[in-house]
Amino acid sequence: MARLDGSGLNGSEMPFTEMAGAGPLGTLARAQYGALARLRWHMFTNGLRSSKGTFELGARILVYFLYAVLGLGLGLGMSAGAYAIALNQAWEYLPILFWVAFLIWQMIPIMLASFQEQFDLGSILRFPVSFGSFFLLYLVFGLVDISTICGACCCFGIWSGISVARPELLGWTALGLAVFAVFNILLVRAIFAWIDRWLSQRKTREILAAVFLVIALCLQLLNPALYRSSHGKRPSRDEQAETYRKMGGDITPWLKTANAVQEWLPPGLAARALTQAAKTQLAPAWGSIGVLGLYLLAAGGVLAARLRAEYRGENLGYAPRRNKASPRRRRVSSPKEIAVRVGNPGWFLDGSGPIAAVMEKELRTLMRSIPQLYVLGAPLLMVFIFGALFRSSASGGHMFALALPLSMAYAMLGFTQLFSNNLGHEGAGIQVIFLSPTPIRTVFLAKNLFHAFLLCLDVLLAGILVSLRLGRQDGAELTATIAWLLFALPVNLAVGNVFSLTMPYRVNPGRLTRQRGSQGNALLSLLVQLGVLGVGAVVFGLCGYLRNLWLATPIFLVLAAGAVSAWMRVLRNTDGMANRRRDSLIETLVKAD
Amino acid sequence: METAAIYTHGLTRRFGALTAVDDVTLSVAPGQFLGFLGPNGAGKSTTIKMLTGLLEPSAGTIEILGRPFGAGALDLKRQIGVVPEGMALLGRLTAPEYLRFVGRMYGLGAEVAKRRTEELLEFMQLANESRKLVTDFSHGMQKKLALAAAVIHGPKVLFLDEPFEGVDAIAAGQLKAMLQGMINRGATIFLTTHVLEIVERLCSHVAIISRGRLVANGSIEELRLGVASALPGAEMEQRLTLEEIFLEIVGAGGRQEPAQELSWLA
Repeated sequence: MARLDGSGLNGSEMPFTEMAGAGPLGTLARAQYGALARLRWHMFTNGLRSSKGTFELGARILVYFLYAVLGLGLGLGMSAGAYAIALNQAWEYLPILFWVAFLIWQMIPIMLASFQEQFDLGSILRFPVSFGSFFLLYLVFGLVDISTICGACCCFGIWSGISVARPELLGWTALGLAVFAVFNILLVRAIFAWIDRWLSQRKTREILAAVFLVIALCLQLLNPALYRSSHGKRPSRDEQAETYRKMGGDITPWLKTANAVQEWLPPGLAARALTQAAKTQLAPAWGSIGVLGLYLLAAGGVLAARLRAEYRGENLGYAPRRNKASPRRRRVSSPKEIAVRVGNPGWFLDGSGPIAAVMEKELRTLMRSIPQLYVLGAPLLMVFIFGALFRSSASGGHMFALALPLSMAYAMLGFTQLFSNNLGHEGAGIQVIFLSPTPIRTVFLAKNLFHAFLLCLDVLLAGILVSLRLGRQDGAELTATIAWLLFALPVNLAVGNVFSLTMPYRVNPGRLTRQRGSQGNALLSLLVQLGVLGVGAVVFGLCGYLRNLWLATPIFLVLAAGAVSAWMRVLRNTDGMANRRRDSLIETLVKAD
Repeated sequence: METAAIYTHGLTRRFGALTAVDDVTLSVAPGQFLGFLGPNGAGKSTTIKMLTGLLEPSAGTIEILGRPFGAGALDLKRQIGVVPEGMALLGRLTAPEYLRFVGRMYGLGAEVAKRRTEELLEFMQLANESRKLVTDFSHGMQKKLALAAAVIHGPKVLFLDEPFEGVDAIAAGQLKAMLQGMINRGATIFLTTHVLEIVERLCSHVAIISRGRLVANGSIEELRLGVASALPGAEMEQRLTLEEIFLEIVGAGGRQEPAQELSWLA
């Protein structure tokens, strides 16, 4: 038998006292990076022992393939744009490419929050990891984010476009884009690290909610101000042209100011550095790169401040709160006194048994999860902001025919995670569902009813926002959209119930980012959404081709009948499915921490 | 013959090649307070999960209060209360909200659930924490809340997996008194814990599982006599503690030398 006499551990092989304190690139740090890499490798290979793990790997490969296709498309577009700009010496348009890349980099994580899976490094803090190593690891683990992949593709596209057109700018382009890329990586990580922090505290949460509302109201007020003539009726082509001419006159001075300001913002600085280098103004180009470098340092500093707090032991999942010291009562209290101290949280849905209990629990949990509310609400804001895109001057001022269904479909996107992982918020509480005498199908029915209610609320708001932006909707379009929703909702509920039982993952309701996830679940739920959208597009397209949008309604209603039947069938089988999988469900949802 | 409150026959659970619980046949009479003991990894939690419907047995049968029990036995689930390994709490609810939710899931009326919630929170000394989210509770407070949730519907059979872990001495004393009161009123309690003093003080009977197999079952006095009779004369004369009985039965015996010495430890 091997004898652990310490010769291998305390001897010359591991002089850890000498290795410590050598910084993020020291011997100890490098040993830790190696250990982490091995850990990830072991987790990966051990995950392949189960069929679920193999499926997850397949889903991950497919997801990254889709990211790559998306990134490649963006990169090609950027490359062509940069090539044309460099070839034609139209450098004044270069900032547009950088701003697009910047927005893609920063917006993708917000728009695809439901589909991202990230590794939480908080668990490694119990080891002697230096802050530098922690910071570095935080960045390295973020390099496989979809935003970084797409942003990097955009940068590569710009670099290749300019370098092919003007080979002498190859070095400058590489330098400017490298600083720009690092700045973006740091900024996007800093934004999300701080959002998580703000959402974990009640006061800052309320401030954020207020800011969100103010922005929404500002946009709301901007709408009638900008489109005074279009409310209630569709403007003619002449009226629209006049409106745009007037708007152009009004906003030209603003645009000039905005252009002057953007030159001092990171995308503008990166573009300006390349423009100056192209005009062989090397000193100003170095100056622009230097100012961009200052932005990079600032973003790094902001991120470091947040990570430093986490490094010192702050845990957002259990954010501390001040408690009033309450003396322990020794005397026996009367029932009335007890009732006063316990308080009555009130019943939203009284007296209707487990369905009301589950719906009330879901509502209370949702109201306390700002990240979840954000995921549900963000598409609404996007619908409002991008509603103007549907205005089509080419069609003589007529609104884009599919504005309403597309907006509804986008609003539905926010529900993907809620539908397809409806047990994710239960955590250890999943055991209550299995221990109680309430059938699982009753619990799922209650969850489905609650989610359906939320979706109705969401699409109603989306409909109001679209109407505010585009005027009153066409009757046939409205009816067809409602019929499509009647088809889309039960499909999502049915498939979501199956995914929730077969591919669940635990959700931390206090975090927007760094959630564990299931690539399989995310990918399949996205495919289902695309399928539902595809069916809608085909039916709308066909009826549009036949110039009879009213025809879409009965088609969708027939599909809806089938979808409802499928949902009821799934619901009937829920008990059996859940009980067969209860072991893995409990293991996944209870032990994920 | 009296119907057993808990009865298993040939209860087995396999995880691939590993047999975690192997052919366990056990009977717990109504009103009995059974301590279910075993070393780490012996199969205690797996057994309790099967007995409460959280895990499907690979083989064997379970009867609770004389009726076959499984995940679909909803009427029987009303009769049992459980503090499972992970405590089954919902972190984003307050304690009153959670208890009322559990009460309603067990079919209690809103008024009854409200009244019992208030009484339980007062008893568990959690009434002053009623505005705090469960996720902000200390481990001990969460244990007390989990126990409150397990009894809110007045179960006849109670399964407790390490209920006293992290609970302070004052609260532990109250909880023990509450459990003893339940036993006096005819309830049956199935308790797993590593704290043998608690078992010795509370339980009338003990079952010991080792490597998945039930190796001892009976009253503490019966086990004491059984173990003592197998020991040499000098040791037989002493009154054995439950810890000594346990160590003898699971084969540790306290006489083994450490296989290796970790000389590099301080």
